[in-house]
Amino acid sequence: MNTPPISGLDPCVHCGFCLQACPTYLATGDESDSPRGRIVLMRSLARGSLSTTEPTLAFHLDRCLGCLACEPVCPSDVRYGTALEATRALIAQSRPVPLVARMVNAVMADRRLRRPLLGLARLVRPVAGVLAGQSRLGFAFGMLRATENGQRWGKQGQKTEKASLPAPSASSAPSALLFTGCIMEGLFSHVHEATHRTLSANGYRSTRVPHQGCCGALHAHTGEHDKAVDLARRNVAAFADCPESVIAVNSAGCGAMLKEYGRLLAGDPLEPEAVALSQRVRDVSQLLASRETRRGHTLALKVAYDPPCHLLHAQRIADAPRALLASIPGIEMVQHRDAAMCCGSAGSYSLTQVGLSRTVLEDKVNALIAADPDVVATGNPGCIMQIGAGLAAVGSSIPVVHPIEILDWSYAMAGFYDE
Amino acid sequence: MVADKIRSLLGEHGLLGIDPLGIPVAAPASDDECALLLRTASSESWTVRIEGSGTWIPRDARADLALSTMRLRGIVDLSPPDMVVTVGSGTSWTELQTSLANDRMWIPLDPPGSGRSVGSVVACATAGPLRTGFGAIRDHLLGLTLVTGDGRVVRAGGRVVKNVAGYDITKLAAGSFGAFGIITSVNLRLRAVPRADATLIARGTRDHLLDAARGILSSGYTPGALELFSPAAVAGTEWTLAVRLLGSHEAVAAERSAVGAAARMQFSSLEPSDAADFWRDTLARTTAAPSTLRLGALPSSLDEALDSIAHHLDESCDDWIAANVHAGVVRWSGDAGVNRIRLLRNVAAHSEMPLTIERGPWSVRSELGHFGAFRDGAVRLVYALRNSFDPSRTLAIPLGRES
Amino acid sequence: MIPPEVLAALKAAVGPQWVKDARAELDTYATDGLPTHRSLPGAAVIPGRKDELLQVIRILHHHRIPAVARGAGTGLSGGALASGDAVLVVLTRLNRILKIDAENRRAVVEPGVVNTRLSAAAEPFGLHYAPDPSSQPACTIGGNVAENAGGPHCLKYGVTTNHILALDVVLPDGELLSLGSPSGEPWGPDLVGLFVGSEGTFGIATEITVKLTPTPTAIRTLLADFTLLRSAGQAVTSIIAAGFVPAALEILDHNTIAAVEASIYRAGYPTDAGAVLLVELDGMDELAVEAEASQVEDLLESAGARSIQLASDPAKREKLWHGRKKAFGAMGRLGSDLVVQDAVVPRSKLPDVLDQIGEIGERYSISLCNVFHAGDGNLHPNIAFDQTDPDLAERVRRASTDIVRLCIEAGGTITGEHGVGTDKMHYMPLVYDADTLGAMNRIRHVFDPLELANPGKVLPVHSCRG
Repeated sequence: MNTPPISGLDPCVHCGFCLQACPTYLATGDESDSPRGRIVLMRSLARGSLSTTEPTLAFHLDRCLGCLACEPVCPSDVRYGTALEATRALIAQSRPVPLVARMVNAVMADRRLRRPLLGLARLVRPVAGVLAGQSRLGFAFGMLRATENGQRWGKQGQKTEKASLPAPSASSAPSALLFTGCIMEGLFSHVHEATHRTLSANGYRSTRVPHQGCCGALHAHTGEHDKAVDLARRNVAAFADCPESVIAVNSAGCGAMLKEYGRLLAGDPLEPEAVALSQRVRDVSQLLASRETRRGHTLALKVAYDPPCHLLHAQRIADAPRALLASIPGIEMVQHRDAAMCCGSAGSYSLTQVGLSRTVLEDKVNALIAADPDVVATGNPGCIMQIGAGLAAVGSSIPVVHPIEILDWSYAMAGFYDE
Repeated sequence: MVADKIRSLLGEHGLLGIDPLGIPVAAPASDDECALLLRTASSESWTVRIEGSGTWIPRDARADLALSTMRLRGIVDLSPPDMVVTVGSGTSWTELQTSLANDRMWIPLDPPGSGRSVGSVVACATAGPLRTGFGAIRDHLLGLTLVTGDGRVVRAGGRVVKNVAGYDITKLAAGSFGAFGIITSVNLRLRAVPRADATLIARGTRDHLLDAARGILSSGYTPGALELFSPAAVAGTEWTLAVRLLGSHEAVAAERSAVGAAARMQFSSLEPSDAADFWRDTLARTTAAPSTLRLGALPSSLDEALDSIAHHLDESCDDWIAANVHAGVVRWSGDAGVNRIRLLRNVAAHSEMPLTIERGPWSVRSELGHFGAFRDGAVRLVYALRNSFDPSRTLAIPLGRES
Repeated sequence: MIPPEVLAALKAAVGPQWVKDARAELDTYATDGLPTHRSLPGAAVIPGRKDELLQVIRILHHHRIPAVARGAGTGLSGGALASGDAVLVVLTRLNRILKIDAENRRAVVEPGVVNTRLSAAAEPFGLHYAPDPSSQPACTIGGNVAENAGGPHCLKYGVTTNHILALDVVLPDGELLSLGSPSGEPWGPDLVGLFVGSEGTFGIATEITVKLTPTPTAIRTLLADFTLLRSAGQAVTSIIAAGFVPAALEILDHNTIAAVEASIYRAGYPTDAGAVLLVELDGMDELAVEAEASQVEDLLESAGARSIQLASDPAKREKLWHGRKKAFGAMGRLGSDLVVQDAVVPRSKLPDVLDQIGEIGERYSISLCNVFHAGDGNLHPNIAFDQTDPDLAERVRRASTDIVRLCIEAGGTITGEHGVGTDKMHYMPLVYDADTLGAMNRIRHVFDPLELANPGKVLPVHSCRG
């Protein structure tokens, strides 16, 4: 198995600015659970002064959410995320990736497994809300329930007047290729549909390319480097047929991963195509906010926007989703404290690090409940499920949806889709 | 016999004379002479009294030798661009300020009393009304030279405004009444004299003025001084709230209107020369009575502190009282016996308010100690610290009620 | 090595997961904010409550095992390092803000409260905690107390010691004491003043009563750039002499500007300048501060400023400041290791000393960055280098010593805000004579007769006269 070298840590001067940005450090106060502490561990590994079998070394590196909140606050530009992936790949050589993570990775990577399993989940989903709760199983049902189509909440708005902006003509429409992913395809097809509709309503020709699949983020983050490379190669090949179009991504985690393909496939024959693909990736909020977003119907909703870490920290996209939401008439944006903090989802982390994940989530849930929104918006499937399950576990009925869904409700009520 | 020894150590000029209590008074002219005297005193088991200009703490302590700082006088080093002065502890505080004013500089400190020496101000840590805007004595000191009770010369701190090298012996020595040693010189941080300096006065009842002062603070402004004076302190018939505004002309003008609005009362403005007289005379009246006490309260519990003082010490309401509304410090000057002060000290300690005897006759100081309400544990530390500076108890400074 | 029975007692006191003794975990506690110094502790304990902390100290005292307090580990003097026979007592979990008393402008906090979090909690009352070390988003109030931390705004508002009113402390023998009163008036000699800045050698503060300061409502930040570093130093002297009390006066030299502008914290500092000078003026009245700003602008011009930017809106000011506050981290880009100096010189000596520091850099062919609190004369000449190059490391060491000697000869001192720790201990005899060091040593023994609190720091044992 190939593992990339652990690099990007040299500029660290141990200043500690990352500490207070780190959700796990805030949860434990333990330097070993901080970015700076983990950098020490990674450096020791790279130098060979510690080995992967050293007790507690893997333990603390496993506990990293990979939220990358430490990167934007780093004055020395330490490439924490890159080093973490390399480190996890190295650890995976001497110790198997946790079973739960391996199972999730296997399912997501392989369409033949994914389809029936997620299909089964969809069958259970209508009763998931009843079973949601605090226990492990209850939490899982809460996550499943959070994947439901949010449409029923959108009907709270009143239909009064039609929007003024006419639909743009489709003749000169730029094309956007939708990245479908794995879990987004299986459990969030309604978000894909909403993405397609809202892009179309804003003058994009939205299409899908065949043969694409899971982005490989879960694999890269858990140390299955080779598998991540395989998946990346497949996607690079799939998207190479339409080299001119931008790639629209509505999952922050996938977007961040796709933007890393150039680095992931460094030295690979497909590297040039991978670099090109990375440059074509856009979050759907960027596509919509880059031009004047078409204004839909008034929605009298208080919205709390919770930025996904892989959008805010990894991709450094802060304003576009807010601008998109703010463009909807009648929306009131409410602020909740520590919005930039991770929710504790982090891919399969919520399954492998249940305790710490829930501790981190607790702050998020408390902050959201204090802000008292009608709906929470966040652009990543893991976050929707995690926050949704967290709210359900404490008996809150605040729904969690993708921002694009709210725009979609507004458009639907405005009658854009009746034309 | 002691006198002869002094002569032999310092020469004829080192002995000033014999005071009315029959105690020889020595006046060392340098750190080394001071150290020599204290080493000798320590080995001979003499007790030593420290005296400055004698205007603050009376020269009435029993001792085998009086050590005067009068020849440790004058500015040792003044650096106007650095705004730092090193000055002998025997220097007159007023003369120091006058001399600094030639360079448009000052130390924003206005200790009560008059004719005091620099050493007295520092050793007793008597900050006046300007503490509101500029801090206590400790906030102006950069360093000092301390000749310890066993005759070692300790040079604490330095002449730069920031210094964290080693332990802050400067702060330990300031305000400890000389219990650890004699302060022979101090390094003080200077400021440029503010371009504008305005004093506003309002008169009325104590409670009304206290409310007004709190109104000013809650508006976010912190004047240079915000002091509430008793009628006797201002030689008048009513309580007086005095506000001093310092800074640029624009800032003082802005504060002047903000203060009136926040206090919701009318102030009268004093002419510059009247203002100078007002502050000087009011502060000088502290020493009209034999004892001065300092009570540390929270700003919100000043009413309680003032009530306690009125109840225990000032039943006839004719004592000198000043309350610093920002720092929460009340200063009282008057004539009260040991028992009444002790009772107030106990009552105050119960409310977390330390009572310090800043000055008073030896009978009061020796019986009660300058402090004397140490909390559990701290007393052991304080005496152990003193023991490390003055192992043979040469310096006759009653810190607390010692047995 | 910490004996197993001690580890067991510690685990019983704080819970087994809060006692760290695995090699990998101790690795993360082997350095503070100055990674050129490194020492693997025997164990690290992270108590979660005050009573747990007391138990930990009592256990360690009982077994005569040294304890070293550590906050967020952002100190720059190697002060929070423990050797293998000592236990690191980590205070990050003691992070509760116990009281905000807005009426009296006071707060009571546990030692692990992060500096900016205290200011954030005071903000709704129009107050803030004034001392602002550059590490303030990470460092703890307890650490600030130990080091008597400073920061850019201490020029006007004073350093940590000017803002600490009272302390509850646990002595090395486990005794709990209250020092000072909430009013700030002491019960006796100023033990609070003595404790602040004692670098963890007197014990550990368990509760800290601090002053809060009204947050100024009117602020102007000026950024002037100069062809020569020397001119910037002269501008500082003329501003202070004119009677202004700026909230801050900061200088970044050419190399620092380059490092900042190459980092993600680029603030738009002109990269061809010899130095930039940041001046901040604040107050409660817009017109008054505006007037002061224009007068300072005139002074900057006559001192030879090439251009002057004036920012009043928060976003722009924040940007001008950001580069300064993150300068230290930005230097990480220049070399894998960093020596951080903290010497202070009299303000009037700044121009000469800066020239001579430049010469020292040239003499040893090393890359020096100067970023400093110019109003206080507090210099931070930083040297980025690669420790694996022994020749370079030696040149850096010698240059550092030369710089320190130069500053002392100019009438200054070895540390203005970072503390002595292990890093500057060998310089102590250069600033203090044997009697003074002896007095410090005796004070230490009053607090800690068995030398169990942060031993081997601050005072070089052999230079003290008993």
